[in-house]
This record gives sequence, C-alpha cells and structure tokens, in this order.
Amino acid sequence: MAGIGFELNRLAQKDNLSGVVAALFHSAFATAGPWLFTVIALAVITYLYGEGTQVPADAKILVGYGTNYNLELLHFRGIIVYNFSFTLVLSAPIFMVMTRYLADQIHVKDVTAAPAVLFETLFLTFLFNLPVGIFFYFIYFDLPLELRLVAFANMFLIASTWLLAVFLTALKDYVAITWAFVVGLSLAIAISYFVADDYHATGMLVGFNIGLAVIVFWLSARILAEYPYKLTPNFSLKPYFKRYWELMLIGFFYNGAIWIDKWIMWFAPEATLLMPSKMRFYPDYDSAMYLAYLAMVPSFAVFVFNVETQFFNHYRRFYHQILEHASLAQIRKLHKRITLSVTEGTRNLILIQGAICMVAILLAPQIFEALNIFFLQLGMFRLGVLGVFFHALLLFGTIILQYFDCRKSIMWVYAYFFFSNAIFTLIVMLFYGFQWYGYGYFMSSLTSFILGAIVLFNHLRELQYHSFITNNNSVKSHIETTATKRHEEVWH
Amino acid sequence: MRKHADVCLILEGTYPYVTGGVSNWAHELIQEQNHLSFHLVAIVPQDDKLEMKYTLPGNVQGVTIVRLGHMEDGEKLSPIAARNLHGSLKEPLSKFMGSESINLEELKKIVNTLRSYHSKIGSEALLNSREAWEHCLEIYESDFDNHSMLDFFWSYRAIAGGMYSMLLADLPSADIYHAMSTGYAGLMLARAKIETNKPTMITEHGIYTNERRIEVISADWLEETASRALTIDKQRRDLRDLWIDAINNFSKVCYEACDHIITLFKGNQAYQLEDGANPSKMAIIPNGVDLSRFEKVSHRRTGHPTIGMIGRVVPVKDVKTYIRAVSLVKQYAPDIKAYIIGPTNENEIYYEECVSLVKLMGLEDNIEFTGQVRIEEYLDHIDVLVMTSISEAQPLVMLEAGACGIPLIASDVGACREIIQGTQPGDTHGGVVTALANPSSTAQAIYKLLNDHDFYEQCSNAIAARIRQDYNQDIQHNAYRDLYAKHLQR
Repeated sequence: MAGIGFELNRLAQKDNLSGVVAALFHSAFATAGPWLFTVIALAVITYLYGEGTQVPADAKILVGYGTNYNLELLHFRGIIVYNFSFTLVLSAPIFMVMTRYLADQIHVKDVTAAPAVLFETLFLTFLFNLPVGIFFYFIYFDLPLELRLVAFANMFLIASTWLLAVFLTALKDYVAITWAFVVGLSLAIAISYFVADDYHATGMLVGFNIGLAVIVFWLSARILAEYPYKLTPNFSLKPYFKRYWELMLIGFFYNGAIWIDKWIMWFAPEATLLMPSKMRFYPDYDSAMYLAYLAMVPSFAVFVFNVETQFFNHYRRFYHQILEHASLAQIRKLHKRITLSVTEGTRNLILIQGAICMVAILLAPQIFEALNIFFLQLGMFRLGVLGVFFHALLLFGTIILQYFDCRKSIMWVYAYFFFSNAIFTLIVMLFYGFQWYGYGYFMSSLTSFILGAIVLFNHLRELQYHSFITNNNSVKSHIETTATKRHEEVWH
Repeated sequence: MRKHADVCLILEGTYPYVTGGVSNWAHELIQEQNHLSFHLVAIVPQDDKLEMKYTLPGNVQGVTIVRLGHMEDGEKLSPIAARNLHGSLKEPLSKFMGSESINLEELKKIVNTLRSYHSKIGSEALLNSREAWEHCLEIYESDFDNHSMLDFFWSYRAIAGGMYSMLLADLPSADIYHAMSTGYAGLMLARAKIETNKPTMITEHGIYTNERRIEVISADWLEETASRALTIDKQRRDLRDLWIDAINNFSKVCYEACDHIITLFKGNQAYQLEDGANPSKMAIIPNGVDLSRFEKVSHRRTGHPTIGMIGRVVPVKDVKTYIRAVSLVKQYAPDIKAYIIGPTNENEIYYEECVSLVKLMGLEDNIEFTGQVRIEEYLDHIDVLVMTSISEAQPLVMLEAGACGIPLIASDVGACREIIQGTQPGDTHGGVVTALANPSSTAQAIYKLLNDHDFYEQCSNAIAARIRQDYNQDIQHNAYRDLYAKHLQR
C-alpha cells in the first residue's frame, strides 16, 4: 500500500500551546523586585543620613576625608549607589534567563539541577561584575586600601543578593524573602549608623556588609533547604542563554534604563565630585528620583494582586480551553475577557497611580519639609513623579507582555526606553540646564509607555493569531527541526 | 547541472524507503526497463529517519526526497504583498478543502501564483502569516464553527502545508512522469503536467482515496469537538469530511492531469470512475509473476492437511479471522497445520494479540508464525493458500502460489475474485471466494478443498493455467515498455 497518509496520530500530539504558560509569573518579580528593593534601601539611607549627605549647591568639588561635609558619609553612600546600580544592570541579564530556566524546570517538575544552577549563575554573575569592580575599586577611584577591599566585597554581596532573591521568587517564597530583607537591611543600616562616628566610611560599609551577608546566607540556606539535591555539574542552563538571548537584553536594557539618566546626571555641572577619590554623583537628582520611585510601590502591590486574581485566571482559561478543543466562538469569548481584564486593570492602575502621583506632586513641599529635604530638588521630584506614572504603567504593560512570551517586542520597547532616557537626559543636561532636570526621564518614560501600550494592545488584538502561530511552540519547533533537512538528495 | 531522466517515478511513502508490494513492483519495473533512465521522487513523512531498503538499480539517476509538509521558511512578505499572495491562493485553496467538484484549473492557479514568487516564499508567507491565519478562520467559519479550533487548525495546516510542500519542492526534469498513487504523489504529478506538459501516467495498486478514508474514519482524535454535546443539528461537515474531501480533490486533479490511468484489475476501475477518472484514459495492466521461478517449485500434497497464509501480520490482513477459521476446521481435522508466513515486527501489538488468540483457542500445536522467510520453502508443501485480508489490491503471493498449482481461498476484496474465478462467466474456478471477516465462510472453504479431492484437482489445474495465461510477467513488462516507448518516441 503506497501513501503516507498524513500522520494523523502525530498531528494529534502536537498541541504545545502550553509552552507559553510556562513562561509565567516569576518574571514580574524578576523585573521589578530587585529594583524596588534598591529604591527602598536607598530612600531609607537618604532619609537617615539626610543632613549629612546634602551638599550645598555651590560646592561642586569636595576635597579630603572627614571635612565639614561629612565626606565619609558621602563616600559610604556613593559606594552603595555605585554597587547597587552597576551590579543590578550587570546581573539582570543572567537572572532573567535563570528565572526562565527555573520556571520551565518547575513546570516539568524536575528541579534536581537547581542547586547546581544556583552556583553556576552566581559564578557567572561574579564574572560579569568583576571587570567593573576591578575598574572602580582598583583602578579608577582613589580610596584607602581597606575601603577599596570592603567596597569590592560589598559589590559581590549585592550581586549575590539580586540573584538569590530572584531565585527564591521562583519558589514563590515571598515571606522568606521579605523577612530576610527586612532583618538583613535593618541590621545593615543599624550597624552602619552606629559605627559611623568612630569608624568612618570603612566601618559603615563593613556594618552594611554584615547585614547583606545575613541576607545572602539566609536566602541560600532557604534555597538549599528547598532543593536538597546533589551538586553535580549541569549544562542544561547553557542552551537557555542562546535560546532566550532576548531576556538577557531585556534585563540589561530595563535596569540600564532605570540608571542611565542618573549616571549621566552625575556629570552635570551641578553634580558633586569627591577628591581625591574621583567619585562623582548628584545627590539632589538621585534623591529626588529615589523618592519619586517610591510612588510606584503601592500600585505595584495593586497590580500584582490584580494579575493574580483577575488577569491570570482569564489567561489560563484562554489557553486551557484552546487545548480542550474549544470552538472559535468560545475562544473569542475568552479572548474578549482577557482584553477586558487588561483594559480594566489598566484603567484602575491609571486611577490609583494617577491619584498617588497627584498627591505626591501637590504635597511635595510638605513631604520635603517633613523629611527635611532640600527644596532645590522639588522640580526634579515633581518631574520624577510624572515620569514614574508612565514608568509604572510601562512596567505593568511589559509584564503582561511577558505572560504572552513576547520577548522580542519587550526587548525593543526597553531598548527604546534605555536609549531615549540616555539621549533625552543628555540633551536636557547639555542644552537646557537646571530648571529642566528630570525632563529627560519624564519624556523617555512617557514615550516608552506609548510605545509599550501600542505593542501590548496590538498583541492583544491579534492574540488568537499569536497563540496559534507565532507563540506556538509546535509551529516553531517544527520549523527548527526541519530547518536542518534542506536539500536532501541522493545521487547515484 | 542536473541530469535529465527518461522517466520520473513519483512515490509516496513507499520505494525505496519502505518495503512492500508497491515497492517491489517499482523496483522490478526499473530493473526490467533497464534501457531507460529513472529519477525517483520519494515523498516521505516530515520527521522520519530514512533508511534505504533496496539497492537502487544502475539506471536510477537520483532520488529527490520530498518531505511532506516541509518547506523553507522563505521571506516574510510585506502586508500588501501577503494580501496579494493570499488573495490569489485563497479561492483555489478553499476549493481543495471543499466538497464541491474541482478541476485542474484550480491547481494551475496555485502553481502559477507560487511560481510568480520564484521560490522566495515558504512557510513564513504561506502558513505563518496573518493572511494565512485569516484564511484558516474563513474556512473554519464557513463550515466548521462549533468544532475544535485547535484540531481544525492542525488539519488546515497539514492539508495546506502538504500541498505547498509538493508544489514548492524541486521537480526533476524528465520526459515522462509516472506516479504510483494519487494523493500527494498525484498532486506532484498534476503539477508536473502543468509545469512541463510532458506525458503523465499513474499506476494505482490500491485506491488511495479508499485507503485514506479508512484511516480518516478510524482516527479517533478527529472526533474531539468542543460543543458537540450541545449542538442538536449535525454540522454540515466535520474534520473527517475535510480530510476526505481534500484527498478526493487531490485524486480528481491527478486523474485530470494524467494521460494514462492504469490499475491492476477491473475492480479498481469502478472507484477510479467514481473519483472522476476519464474512461478513455483508463487501462488495466495486471501484475505478473516470474513463471520460470515458480514452475521450478514442485508442489506436492503431503497427505497431512497443511494450509498457509502469506502476508505481514497487520490488521489489514485480518490474521485473527484466519486463526478463528483454523480453530473451526480443527474440529474436523485435529491434525491441521496452518502457517502464518510473513514478518511479525511491523505491528508488534497486533502480533501479540494474534499470539494470545492462538493460545486462547488452544491452537499452539496447529498454528506456526514463521516470520520472514523465502516463500518457496513453504509453497512446495502447503495444500491451500488462505487470504483473509480486508483490503488488497492484486496480491502477488496469490499469483505465485497459483503458479505452483496451489488452490486459493481469499476474501472478496481487490482482484481476488478475478484471480480465483477468472474474468469471464464460464471460467473454471481456481479456489473459493469467501465473505469478508467471516471465519466460518473461510473454514467451510478450507474444509471443502481439503476433503473434496476432485474439486481440489480441478482448482489446482485451473489456477495454474490461468496464471500462466493471464498473469505472465512478460505481459506486464511489455505493456510498460510499449507505453514508455510510445511517449519517448524513439
């Protein structure tokens, strides 16, 4: 009997839409968690040391240690800001991919490789951070040796913290993370606060490192207790870096976008340069922005709640019903519900975030007075809050896009966010001057939000097409497996 | 520079990667017509590992492997270009998936559209574009709403993808295109006609549309629909209809594009007519046997009742009916010996079932699975050849056994009746035709032949004479030699 038929049985087993569902939730925390943590930590430090870290507007270059302006405190805070910002941007490419890997492993219920992967990614993260650490603390900055060493150690402790926290979110063990951070960070700040007078920057940083070390050991202990498997060399993570290279860039661009305007502003004419260490920053701009970012925290909580209760249910039903042989009419109905939950969620978030931002802008003078902050920062803070409004919406939109596994689109949106923030901030700094500081970030987050919204709603509109074709692993894997079979021909 | 062949054989799921009747036939054809050069187009499943099962004769110039459903990714077209492309593909493609009659013009439209893109397009533009998705939805909504979207989606993709892969694959250059079946091979043949206008012919062994229909009907997963339980009125069409219609349409365009529609026996022609073949193009060329090989076998009855069935142990051969028939005969002939001669590894599950059935009926001493063997070793001492298949074309083993003077018992499928009873009303029977899947009918025939000595002799002589006269291999080879020669004009 001649004829292949059409491999009916094999056809029936090709339904792999569930690949999308594995991408999932953890990405929300991987994207936003570490950064929110940074914001809170820096805001607390800024507030605690408020007076000591404020630099008179006319003092551009501060020389020596232990002078009126409490240069020790400025160095301590400077090192922490440098380490937070650079490790975040350099570690994000790794922990984004790692998150995806863990989500997949948990999805297929095989997490035996987890401890091995933890150490592999830790090693990789150190490797990524090493050149920058060496450059800052052993080449560029002129600091006392003991401070260099402690700062260097601090960098790797912070990098480890990112990775471990993200790793643990894969377990959804948010309670452990929260406690570790609350206890560790309180300890860090408390020790550094009390030793400040006697031991200066080095002592404070040692205190801070102790607190971070508590977090690091706490989290690793949790992870190793949750995954009590043998540590054997494992190479299953490696292909993920190739397959999910967009995630690396997403991590880099997003976290880079958050910091690039500050890095640029550190070179503003009003910024401070410490000598002879050559460390520079712009405390007014930085503090205004950290404070503005705090406006995002309440709506982030609302967003997470919304996603878990509303959106995710519709999302899961949509894919589940497709696999359960739903008709097109049923699929369309579920599609409508997803769209509705996103639009309603967006509306709610706009209201909440809008209200918070409005209050923050209007009450800024009172807030500044209460927290004893320079009024010089008021304009920047208000623009920062406006920027945060769109930044928050952009973040939520891209997290929704991550559910649909639109890695390329997200990558482009964040690439735009990164470059536009850099360019707008640079333009504002070079050509417009002090009154306009903050506009760069604001314009960048506004336009990035518009771009993100267009991408999100376009994807939602064509969700059926994307679910069946562009996001369908069966369609994709078919293309991959057959790509190698071109031009088979046997010649006699 | 590619060589030009005299004949391009288009083979779907058979020679040279699969063994079986059609494969042997093709192998023999190439060897016999050794004055001609051949190029093979082997249509194979998308993901299968291929293993050459034959040593290709020297006159085979090359083999082009075409993977069903596989094509290059190709370019992503701009929205306007994609809309144009699908604008012209939509209507003919819909017709291929529809139940209304179709003709070669529709295929021409698709072929010409694809050609105008100079092989720059592939799955990206044809299957993965928004326009392709919209077309998929359009067909779904016209006939299939209420059915599982996912299952429809894969069926649409498989049908359209299968077609495109046939139409985009390399077509070897040849003077004659000769397909072994309709279906995707037939589609490729029709495309060859459209593109080259060279002579085309098809030799059908089994009827493709029938074989696929059985497959479609027994595919349980096609039944999974969303809200079947809630709908009161039956849908106009379901996924089974979609597949069956598409396969029928492939046959229709293939027949229309063929200059010669050949089959092995008369019974098949009724189906071909039903599928739209033009009677004036139709011809019968029966398979023949190598008489010299089987005349050497000296058949003798051992005095010990011995029967055999020859074939792969697979469901289509209905081995279980054979086993049950043996069990019935055993009541009257306790010492009956029954062979099942053929490979047992093709469908292990079925084989295991057959072995259990033998045990269950206490036939371990009577029935023997020989596995794959040289059949001459058995043809010299079996009394009767018994075939219980539910589907056959023109089984070569019946001709071979008949050539040895072994009376035949076979179910009424394919050419079995013609072989046993002859084509003319007055012909002497060379055995017994039995009812399908009917152990007692088969058992009665076995009993009669084993016990009625005169009837046995009469059948033995009649079948040997008929094979010698009508199923001589030389007739077959000469017919193809003449047919090829006519078109090669040499």
